[in-house]
Amino acid sequence: MAGALADRAWRDSAPETIEVDLAALWRDAGQGDVAIARAVMSNLIVVRAPSAERRGLADIAADLPLDEVVSRHPSRTIVLEHCHRDAPSTPFSAGVGIVTFGPATARYGVEQIVVRSACPEASLLSILRRVVRGDVPTTVWWTEDLSDGPPFDPLLTIGRQLLYDSRHWKDVSRGLAAVLPLTDNRRVDLADLNWRRLAPMRRALVDVRGPLAAVAWRGVTVTVRYAPGETAIASLLAGWLRGERRTDPIRVDVAPLPKGDADAILTVTTDDVTATQSPRGVDVTPASAPPFVVAAAKESDADAIAAELRALSPDGALLSALRALGN
Amino acid sequence: MTIVIFGGAGDLAHRKLLPALYNLHVDGLLPPRLAIVGVGRKPTTDDEYRAFAKDGVQKFSRRPIDEQTWEGFAASLFFGAADLDSEAGLAPLGARLDIIEHERGLNGDRIYYLAIPPTLFAPTVSHLARSRFVPPAEGKSARVIVEKPIGRDLESARAINDAIAKVFAEHQIYRIDHYLGKETVQNILVMRFANSIFEPLFNQKYVDHVQITVAEEEGVGTRAGYYEQAGALRDMVQNHLLQLLAMVAMEPPHSLDADVIRDERLELLRSLRRVEGDAVDDNVVRAQYTAGFIAGKAVPGYREERGVAAASQTETYVALRVCIDNWRWAGVPFFLRTGKRLPKRASEISVHLKEVPPILFNADPSARLDPSILSIRIQPDEGFSLGINSKVPGPHVQVYPVKMDFHYGSTFGGTSPEAYERLLLDVIAGDATLFMRRDAVEAAWQWVMPIVERWQERGDAGLATYPAGEWGPADGEQLIRSTGRRWLAP
Repeated sequence: MAGALADRAWRDSAPETIEVDLAALWRDAGQGDVAIARAVMSNLIVVRAPSAERRGLADIAADLPLDEVVSRHPSRTIVLEHCHRDAPSTPFSAGVGIVTFGPATARYGVEQIVVRSACPEASLLSILRRVVRGDVPTTVWWTEDLSDGPPFDPLLTIGRQLLYDSRHWKDVSRGLAAVLPLTDNRRVDLADLNWRRLAPMRRALVDVRGPLAAVAWRGVTVTVRYAPGETAIASLLAGWLRGERRTDPIRVDVAPLPKGDADAILTVTTDDVTATQSPRGVDVTPASAPPFVVAAAKESDADAIAAELRALSPDGALLSALRALGN
Repeated sequence: MTIVIFGGAGDLAHRKLLPALYNLHVDGLLPPRLAIVGVGRKPTTDDEYRAFAKDGVQKFSRRPIDEQTWEGFAASLFFGAADLDSEAGLAPLGARLDIIEHERGLNGDRIYYLAIPPTLFAPTVSHLARSRFVPPAEGKSARVIVEKPIGRDLESARAINDAIAKVFAEHQIYRIDHYLGKETVQNILVMRFANSIFEPLFNQKYVDHVQITVAEEEGVGTRAGYYEQAGALRDMVQNHLLQLLAMVAMEPPHSLDADVIRDERLELLRSLRRVEGDAVDDNVVRAQYTAGFIAGKAVPGYREERGVAAASQTETYVALRVCIDNWRWAGVPFFLRTGKRLPKRASEISVHLKEVPPILFNADPSARLDPSILSIRIQPDEGFSLGINSKVPGPHVQVYPVKMDFHYGSTFGGTSPEAYERLLLDVIAGDATLFMRRDAVEAAWQWVMPIVERWQERGDAGLATYPAGEWGPADGEQLIRSTGRRWLAP
């Protein structure tokens, strides 16, 4: 249902005048020949680390599929480049824009705000509260590697969902250490794009043996092998397998894949089944039944992010998996 | 017509009145034959006053100044000196006005705008009468515009109203609450009574509760002298918030006649359940801001502001739970809050409809559906929206709250007239719909007084604090959370 990009308006602003400048952009837009409806289904705070080359404000998120995301799930996007660690007292700047999508007969516009802040972390909330709309849900998209450090506390006060991708973690144990405390935070739902990739494998394993709580999984030993760079998804799978049974837990052995199938992300082996996940889906080979394939949903990063933004309740299976990994 | 602005060299004239008059001139809405005379204590030439006015227009007008248009407007601007403290202080001004009116061929109809401190209202009006500025009924007309605050309690409000009433009849008096001049506030009536979808829902059968938030980002600034005596209850609740409440909750008027609409607003104010004695402690929260952050910058606490007493007990935040004892709203709480140094400047009314039964899509207690909310955004993001639940496209039944959003900026483009433009135009036209009648002002004071008195009894006991940049104190949160609801941040 996403509309094609139609136009983009931008102007430099300041943190104090963001709303005024956005209003001016809308007034300009309202005087054009094509009617534009403002679309806002959520606030999306996109957190970026400062880069060495000091990108222009409009380019801070140029490498992210932001337009694609908001065309699918129109959100007031607040890109935050927060330099608190390096320059706690330097001034900060802002810019605002309106991105319009869709044909002339059904055009909608989405607001984008970029803030480069360098204030003490304690005051970060005072910037965000100014620009976040209170009548729609707020998601914090942590685009950086959580294994480099946990999310800023103020963001967790204002956001109802923390979206991240554990695939980018350089150090899985440190990444887990960053998110584990959040599993007990009832105010913030966790959404991991990497966990989403695991869906076909989870479905395949349940299809073979039934739900993890079922008798068929009692005392089963599972071997998980993962491709280079896929440690996090293997850990999540292990956590899911370990976390779902209260008695007779599933034993999980996790190790890297030997070199071979360049396409494979994960393989899971039990005494009677082998399942191999690739970008296309999961090839399942049971010992006593014909092989079958569980297809992976064909979705872009933007599709996946938009789908997570629409989720308004906690993902209990993810929380259970993370808690199991923390034990 | 002649518009005489007492306090013509003051801040209100500079920031609001002169830019508003300029914009009315740009739109061709002012009478063709007009003089605008600023009155002040310090002698000033007409040219100096025009420069002062131009500076105000350049800085505060919603539209940039156009030199040619300005010349036409400036030709109608004059200055007259007057000493309001002296019995004979208006005599030179009278002569000056007569000359200006004679030279410009004006008929002597006058509007007196009292943009002066409230303590000067009564003596100034009295001087106007003694100096024969207010003609008897025949031929010429005279109107007076009074800025809020009208008094600091019921007694002083009555005294001011009595003093003005000795000189002007009620139909000649225009008491300004500039909130009523805002496009979006006027649109409340249109939205309620011009759309068959909303009015049937505006009652205790469908509405769970209503919230009114008037948030200011600024601190006390240069107004400490006034604000220390007033506080948020007198400065905002007694007038702006109660007027907004009246607009959103009043009964349908049977016509658009000014007094019919004002009767309905008054009736609503009279239906407010009085909050007295201990009930004040349970239903009203007051607080004062301490040091904090606004837009990432450190700001001082109220008691550290210039001109504020170190042990000041003046409240900069008020939250109230208000009940309306009439058939329509019985049992529906109205939550009102206002404060300085809140995270953003925003005025908003939200009407929260009752939840659907916890069956079908609302059955899962861990994933309750958002109730439908009608949000009326008064400023700065003018418009209104209706939140509804919708199915997310896809094979599963997933429900997501979406908005039907009317947004002035993107719908109509351009800039809306400022409140003062509309209000000045209405005074010129003699339309009092958007002005407060004496009985409404006094009804509002009557309702507020028990709260003032309770606070006076308790001293600083019960005065909470909140850091600048937060949405008020914990007690303000508790006021609404104790009922199972929560504030909707603008």
